[in-house]
Amino acid sequence: MRKILLFALALLPALSFAQGFQVNLGGQKQIGMGHTGTGLAQDGASIYFNPGAVAMLPENSVQAGISPLFFKSSFNPAGTNDVYHTANKVATPFSGYAVWGPKSAPWKIGLGVYTPFGGLTDWGRQWQGKYTIESLDLKAIYFQPTLSIKLADFVSIGGGFVYDIGTVDLQRALPLSDASGNDGQAQLKGHGHGFGWNAGVFFKTESHITIGIDYRSKANTTISSGDAIFKVPASLATSFPQPNTFYASIPLPATTSIGFGFYPTKQWTLALDANWVGWHSYKVLAFDYAQNTPTLQDTYSPRNYRDGYSLRAGAQFKPVDRWAIRAGGGYASTAVRDGYVTPEVPDANRYYFTGGLGYSIARKLDVDLSFEYEHLLSRTQTNIETQLSGTFRSNVYIPGVSLTYHW
Amino acid sequence: MNSYKYICILAAGVLSLSACKPSIETPVPTRGSADFTRYIAVGNSLTAGYADGGLYLEGQQNSYPSIIAQQMKQLGGTGNFIQPLFSQDQANGSGYLQLTGFDKTTGAPITAPVTTNLAVTGQVTIPGYGAVTTYAKYAGTDINNYGVPGIKLAHITYAPYGNLNGFYERLLPGAEGTHTTTYLDFITAKPFTFFTNWLGNNDALGYATSGGAGDVLTDKATFNALYSALMAKLTASGQKGAVATIPDVTAIPYFNTVTVAAILASVQKANPAVQALFVNAKSDATAAGTTYAARPATANDLIVLTFPTSKIGTLVSTPAGMLPYGLTPYSPIENQYVLDANEVTLTKDYVTSYNNTIKSVAASKGIAVNDMYTFLNNVKAHGLVVDGVNLNAGYISGGIFSLDGVHLTPRGYAIVANEFIKAINAQYGSNIPLADAASYRSVKFP
Repeated sequence: MRKILLFALALLPALSFAQGFQVNLGGQKQIGMGHTGTGLAQDGASIYFNPGAVAMLPENSVQAGISPLFFKSSFNPAGTNDVYHTANKVATPFSGYAVWGPKSAPWKIGLGVYTPFGGLTDWGRQWQGKYTIESLDLKAIYFQPTLSIKLADFVSIGGGFVYDIGTVDLQRALPLSDASGNDGQAQLKGHGHGFGWNAGVFFKTESHITIGIDYRSKANTTISSGDAIFKVPASLATSFPQPNTFYASIPLPATTSIGFGFYPTKQWTLALDANWVGWHSYKVLAFDYAQNTPTLQDTYSPRNYRDGYSLRAGAQFKPVDRWAIRAGGGYASTAVRDGYVTPEVPDANRYYFTGGLGYSIARKLDVDLSFEYEHLLSRTQTNIETQLSGTFRSNVYIPGVSLTYHW
Repeated sequence: MNSYKYICILAAGVLSLSACKPSIETPVPTRGSADFTRYIAVGNSLTAGYADGGLYLEGQQNSYPSIIAQQMKQLGGTGNFIQPLFSQDQANGSGYLQLTGFDKTTGAPITAPVTTNLAVTGQVTIPGYGAVTTYAKYAGTDINNYGVPGIKLAHITYAPYGNLNGFYERLLPGAEGTHTTTYLDFITAKPFTFFTNWLGNNDALGYATSGGAGDVLTDKATFNALYSALMAKLTASGQKGAVATIPDVTAIPYFNTVTVAAILASVQKANPAVQALFVNAKSDATAAGTTYAARPATANDLIVLTFPTSKIGTLVSTPAGMLPYGLTPYSPIENQYVLDANEVTLTKDYVTSYNNTIKSVAASKGIAVNDMYTFLNNVKAHGLVVDGVNLNAGYISGGIFSLDGVHLTPRGYAIVANEFIKAINAQYGSNIPLADAASYRSVKFP
């Protein structure tokens, strides 16, 4: 009769995608130019930025690049002098593109493999927010076969089908001490997949300005049987049945972009991009466990994201044929409303600067280097759901390198 | 190759990135108008770090005064905060309850006392009082945490009290039976600059936890006089401090876990004909009233956590013959297991009066007030979310209260410490940093 109610131990795996996870690392040339590329036909990365421009590419190419991402976040809990830092971990977004078409034909086909969303955040097991998140490793890999057709000398269109594979590995502490005072642990781990499409149109105007418009659709990524691993004291094992699985569905948002290219001299390329990201589709994060108990209930966490936008500008200067120097920057608004900021992606409005170098090692082989620095504006927040309260500051450093073979 | 050189530069850059942590400026520490050089804590079991039905080393180390002191230390300029800790060999102190599991069929928690490595030295019979358990003496000379389990405000000027309470006795020099130092004199013997005072709980709790049978409520006027005297002495040299109000006894799991409805439902499972439980209840809500009579129990009657529910239905001898315990007016649940509706009303009335005294005396001296009465009532009504942990006033699962249903877990004490710190900072313009409640544990599960 002295029944205890363990029911209040709400397990709210606060997994959230955010602008912080939209890594935008489509290609080294484009990163160097501030992530512009919708209105340019530079290389195979057009498969990602604007498949409409692929048919306008002068050559066939194969390229591969990697952009190790260092996400550095610090957190100062409200009313304290404590500062917690994320561990030094490197996420590795990559991209690879292949474009081919007969020289004389008005069409080209291509395949892109890229990682537009991903993140790696590790706050460790000893920090104040350990019951909200310890670490999150998230990847989404998109595969996109693409067809692009030049309708006329001044306009081409293109589109591709997107298949995405998402993997997630989330860990958090559970406030259930064992006999030695150690916390319980929850781990949600799994992979899922989703579908979408990417289509665009590309214009070359008479005034030597190029214009691109692109739409990447939402890709609903469903994890249908991820592992829900709970390590709890033995006396509570029946409340957390093992093995257990979970179902979750997460919409990776749609992105609409318009971009412009300007070519004031032979040596200069200037680009402008604007993006609108439909994060409003991310209203709620629901976890459905295969086995429920009075303690382990399905969860339903409101996220209520708003749409985000970004504005980008970049330039490329080619002093001689073999060399290209690039620079750019941009601003992106956060999708996360006040009260919903979570430590796995302490999202905030952000600006960034990029730079890049391109060099032709041989006649058909280019190497491109890029570097990006992102600064997230400091954000002081109390999360509505977890009451974790404090100030986040985050910086992101992304070096990158790619090799392109073209013919 | 030129590009090779650039790759090297890039690689060097990448390696150095590990060091680029975003910096956050934390506030410049300030003590405001308070002086934390020597902080003393005055109070009862809650102040001592009592938990799980006992005082033991881990509880002492996680007492709220010790947490407050650690946070004060971050401002600099404070002395060491010394607690009368049990030694490592006697870490289990008075002994305490441990959770050993849950009943397979009912889910009820099973607890067992820890009986090894105790600091108990014996029992002494004090004439006219009774048996007093004594503990190994605290060997140190300095004390900052003067929390004494069991002490009432009513005891602080009573000279022989050191002979009646083993937890106080172990702090005093001299032999059991010979003590004559009042608590008030003892705590103020050495100069101090800052105090917290959370006395007064036992003046109501002693009555309540004994179901209104084993103890009495301290008279309201006596409480007022003693509290004023205590505060006058604590602030005699202009010291600043913080006081806390007394929680509503009905907000604690000790009175809310074993409910009339739960017992009745369980009885009815076996015997659907049973209509009601019967309790021996107080006939009026006055302190003077002594009349008790059996009546059917209602949701307003609070059954204590320690009530042996197995007694229900067992045949007991009554003037009307052998009858099932708790199920007839002739065999009601005994007084000591029930804080009945009138006793609840009476206790609440006294607690309200005590708290009015605490708040008005504190206000008259410009002392910070940590309103634990309101805080814990809010926790009971709405729960509390701290850093992703859902806490409430529930037994075991609530995370705040320890296994005795009255005292707190280390996490509960950290939350209390933070409430004190907030009150102190607000009153004196200081900025003692808050403690990280997530780093303190709740109930331990086997």
